[in-house]
Amino acid sequence: MTGLDLLGLAALVLFLVSMLFYASAGRRWPVVFRPLAGLDALGEAIERAVEDGKRVHLSLGTGSVIGSDSAPALAGLATLSKIAAITSMSDKPVVATTGDGAMALLAQDTLRTAYDAAGARGRYEPTSGRLLGPSPFSYVATLPTMLDTEDVAVHLMVGSFGVEGGLAADFGERQNALVLAGTDDVQSQALLYAIAEHPLIGEEVFATGAYLDVSRLHRASLRAQDAIRFLLVVGILGGTLLMTLGLWP
Amino acid sequence: MKLGSYVVWAAVATGTGILVLLGYFIEVDLLIRVRLLLIQWAVLLAAAALLLGLFNLLAVHWSKVSMQDDGWPYSALLILFFLVTLVLGLLFGPDYEVVLLLFRYVQVPIEASLLALLAVSLTLAGFRIFAQRRDLLSVTFMGVSLLVLIGTAPWPFAGDSVLALAVSDIRAWVTQVWASAGARGILLGVALGAITTGLRVLLASDRPYGD
Repeated sequence: MTGLDLLGLAALVLFLVSMLFYASAGRRWPVVFRPLAGLDALGEAIERAVEDGKRVHLSLGTGSVIGSDSAPALAGLATLSKIAAITSMSDKPVVATTGDGAMALLAQDTLRTAYDAAGARGRYEPTSGRLLGPSPFSYVATLPTMLDTEDVAVHLMVGSFGVEGGLAADFGERQNALVLAGTDDVQSQALLYAIAEHPLIGEEVFATGAYLDVSRLHRASLRAQDAIRFLLVVGILGGTLLMTLGLWP
Repeated sequence: MKLGSYVVWAAVATGTGILVLLGYFIEVDLLIRVRLLLIQWAVLLAAAALLLGLFNLLAVHWSKVSMQDDGWPYSALLILFFLVTLVLGLLFGPDYEVVLLLFRYVQVPIEASLLALLAVSLTLAGFRIFAQRRDLLSVTFMGVSLLVLIGTAPWPFAGDSVLALAVSDIRAWVTQVWASAGARGILLGVALGAITTGLRVLLASDRPYGD
């Protein structure tokens, strides 16, 4: 085991310990979120969609489950479980789409579990979690028809997207839906910033679960991220200073 | 029964995740072999899941056609061309001339057109930003976008003037110093978010595989 491996393992343990610590301290020390316009508007938009009999659509992106780009889609699945519970009594429950077969199966499982937990097993339809197209552009090419025929009023994008994410957000804007979009790719984030009504920048895509109050560990994750980010920033600044002074090889 | 099955799935997911994760950090031959084997299984399962996903795709569109829902002719076309491509590919292989022809003259041009459409969408979005979000960030975003565009594109005249060289230098400074630093900051945040998301799955707090 090299020093770098040991450092990586220690960082993971530090993450784990801080997440568990903040989860246990969460009740005595409630978390305070900075306002995010998109996530603030989301709750109201979902309520309005349910009342108007319109659909909420959650796009889990075009990344694969086994790739390194699966993390934002996993965060999207946590968001999906919460939105499925909120919209379970709607005439048109949430629809989740993806560009990956395995992710479509996970979306179906998430929806089934969420409806079971909400006591609305009958609302579950296997076609509510669907594969739109197996490649990024085939996915995005079928999106306008889906948004139109399903009467979508809230278009959420929480997953991994390449440049096709810009088009996916634009199709939502043309549908006059509320578009809240985030991804892990820096260049695609720039596209989403320009196109989407409510872009999620940086790690905000991973914060949707905490803002929607999915679980205590989601809120604890945000605090752990902030604490470790602070340590990293101190480390980077300290390293820069030491190198500038010639005290670091 | 319900609690039992949930515990089993969570234990399997957590155990498998820990084994794969440790295989990256601890260089023990057995652990590395187990990691590689589990990843191979995951690749096979993902391929099988793609087939199920395609079946799901067909089911969605078949339902639209049979119920004559809005936009059902599009679904009928999709089913038709899906089956034609699938049968041709299965019978004659992916290198068959007609399959390659479909790929080269249908799929590739459509994907290229979509990419071109993105340029139009971005231009329109640029105007929309000024209409909807007149804040400092949006003005900075548009200003930097224009600067990079002008500094990168060839000038129709006076391309070697002092002004053109200065704009090009400023563009290089903005992209190599400011943009790179910002992108690294964003990547750092994304990495932290990805780690906590993975750990939540490992702790069985997030269970995308259901209960």
